[in-house]
Amino acid sequence: MKRSQNFVQAYRQAPWRKQLQLIGLFLASVVLVAVVAGIYLNVSARAGEAGRQIQVMYSEIQVAQQINEDKESQLAQLTSASTMEKRARELGFAPVDKDLVLYLDVPEYQGRPSVALAPPPGGVSASEPTLPYEYTSSLFDWAGQVFGVLARELGISATSGSR
Amino acid sequence: MSRQSDWRYTFLSVAFLGFGLLVVAQVVRFQFLPEAQLIANLADERAGEDVVLYPARGQIYDRWGHLLAGNKTVYEVGVNLKDVVDPRAIALTVSAVLDLDYDQVYQRASVEYDPNEAVYIKFADFVPADKALLLQELVARQHAEAEDNPDSGPISLSGLTFREHLGRSYPEDDLAANVLGFVSQDGQGYFGVEEYYDDLLTGTPLSIWLPSDPNRVEELPEIPPGDSLILTIDREIQASVEAILDQAVEDTGARTGVVIVMDPVTGEIYAMATTPRVDLNEYFRYTEVYPEKTPFNQAISKAYEPGSVFKILTMAAALDADAVEPDTPFLDTGSIEVGGIIIHNWNNAAWGPQDMQGCLQHSLNVCLAWVSTELGVEKFYDYMDNFGIGHLTGIDLAGEVYGRLKTPTDSDWYPADLGANSFGQGVAVTPIQMLMAASAIINDGKMVTPHVLKALISDGTQYNIPYQYVSTPISAETAQVLNQMLTSVVQADDSLAYVAGYQLAGKTGTAQIPAEEGGYKQDVTNTSFIGWGPVDDPQFLVYVWLEEPSSSIWGSLVAAPVFADVVERLVVLLDLPPDVIRLSMLEQ
Repeated sequence: MKRSQNFVQAYRQAPWRKQLQLIGLFLASVVLVAVVAGIYLNVSARAGEAGRQIQVMYSEIQVAQQINEDKESQLAQLTSASTMEKRARELGFAPVDKDLVLYLDVPEYQGRPSVALAPPPGGVSASEPTLPYEYTSSLFDWAGQVFGVLARELGISATSGSR
Repeated sequence: MSRQSDWRYTFLSVAFLGFGLLVVAQVVRFQFLPEAQLIANLADERAGEDVVLYPARGQIYDRWGHLLAGNKTVYEVGVNLKDVVDPRAIALTVSAVLDLDYDQVYQRASVEYDPNEAVYIKFADFVPADKALLLQELVARQHAEAEDNPDSGPISLSGLTFREHLGRSYPEDDLAANVLGFVSQDGQGYFGVEEYYDDLLTGTPLSIWLPSDPNRVEELPEIPPGDSLILTIDREIQASVEAILDQAVEDTGARTGVVIVMDPVTGEIYAMATTPRVDLNEYFRYTEVYPEKTPFNQAISKAYEPGSVFKILTMAAALDADAVEPDTPFLDTGSIEVGGIIIHNWNNAAWGPQDMQGCLQHSLNVCLAWVSTELGVEKFYDYMDNFGIGHLTGIDLAGEVYGRLKTPTDSDWYPADLGANSFGQGVAVTPIQMLMAASAIINDGKMVTPHVLKALISDGTQYNIPYQYVSTPISAETAQVLNQMLTSVVQADDSLAYVAGYQLAGKTGTAQIPAEEGGYKQDVTNTSFIGWGPVDDPQFLVYVWLEEPSSSIWGSLVAAPVFADVVERLVVLLDLPPDVIRLSMLEQ
């Protein structure tokens, strides 16, 4: 018994064991620092990549807007008054003489409406995003709604109770 | 642990500590070096760049949404001096494709690269896409050949660079050029709508700092494009009126011409045609196209003595002031003295007994001069002032001029001016002034402001522009009486302004042209016609002015037929049935 106690005491007091503890502590801190640095690098690299993507997307938006303006101008050129008149003449059409126009009385016809290239002030844009109910209701609202549904399914209501 | 190993550990610890302290000391030293500020500035320069973001210029549409002025991609072509290998090849190619001077391009491409002085040189800007793409294709082909054959040597067009950006585009070329104006290469609007609404169309440029470091990228602020404009101009009417005017100028040998079509109730300009016109995509040919002293838009920028069309204002004033009635008799003896000057009729004849209707019908100068004396000097000039003569109409186009109406308070006014002014001589007006003044006769005495802006699109919202009345220079009763008198003028059998099926009102004008050396030019006139219809429900007001026609000197022979031609097209384009059909439809 005493012999085994001596062995344990000798083990605890062994100098290499203390060194091992110090080395272990040091390695643990190195690993911790490495893990933190790794996470930081990973996050910052992803953020950097996202930033670069944003830059590229801004550039793409600009290019798309430029192309859009280009296309509008090209379309306008293809449908310009002189081009359309030339095409019409080539197809055998000619400007109508006022004496050849036949006028019909169309009830309720209000004439050609004015052009509207954008909504008037105060109008709600159709593309305006609207948040669904789930994003705006509180927990209390949600609970009330659930209990309301349950109550209806069970046939419990204020009116039924008064009968 | 032995003493020997203790020593080693201590040495290593001191060495590491010393190295660490050295690093820290060096970092601190960098902060206080003489070059510290330079290094900091260099770092700042590389960290990002200040960029000015220009919003796309607003577009311009006609009243039905047809694009009249938009934007298109154009290119700046230049050279990065550091990458230039063969300046001769660059000069040869660029000068051939872009139509530039070879020596000039070669000289620029040969400049020696200097990182502090010469890095980049521009050859041309606003190069059309087709030409820039052709150059890009040549460069790309050389690159492809170099990849296939690595021993072929450096690329001769190396260094050419292209920067794309938006430039102004006018899809309708010269249509309504005088109304639109143009935008120069520095982005400034000139003439017409482009200049008048330049601030709105341009939008607000924004200066931002753009970081190079992707970690510091922030959301770019939203830059709304410049406001877009919807004009009152009707593309089809404008095109038709321009075609009629061009033909009339050619047929009559006129120097220039103007035709304006306006809605007399709202003041909306449907068409404003002038000659000459420049293709707005080649606005730099401006000085070639416009002869000396010819303004960009004569309809608003050139005042002239209008002649007999002015008589409608004299008669309106006299009727409104009860100086005369439509049946007031007048004996025309062929001449009258006003302020010491003898005035004669246009044909120097005496027309005998007349009433006011006859005076307008036969356009008698003697009669109208007498009417002005009956009205009196003070009232005559008060009425003319109320009609806006000598004032800006306020039309939303750049370059409008005042004209000139001398009044008794001016030092250069003489009593004889009253007689001359009564039939449109000695007074300078613009066509748009005459149009605005006449709108009072059509519009129950209310004078409307002519305008070309129908609606404005700002931040995705369309704001329609209401029309405005300027004043009420005459009563509704006077306007109605004069309307009937002027209807008889056009409905006369011999009038070339007559259009079958439509009751129209109007007046011709023939005016002598003042000579620079004094007096009037011989054998040349300004011919005009102002008219409107249908008389019971006016839908259009038309003004025609042909300057110095050679086929005839008379407005009744030169300008009146142009009015009729314009009306014949207008009734079709505005869906106006003949009066009989229209009235029968209304009865139903």
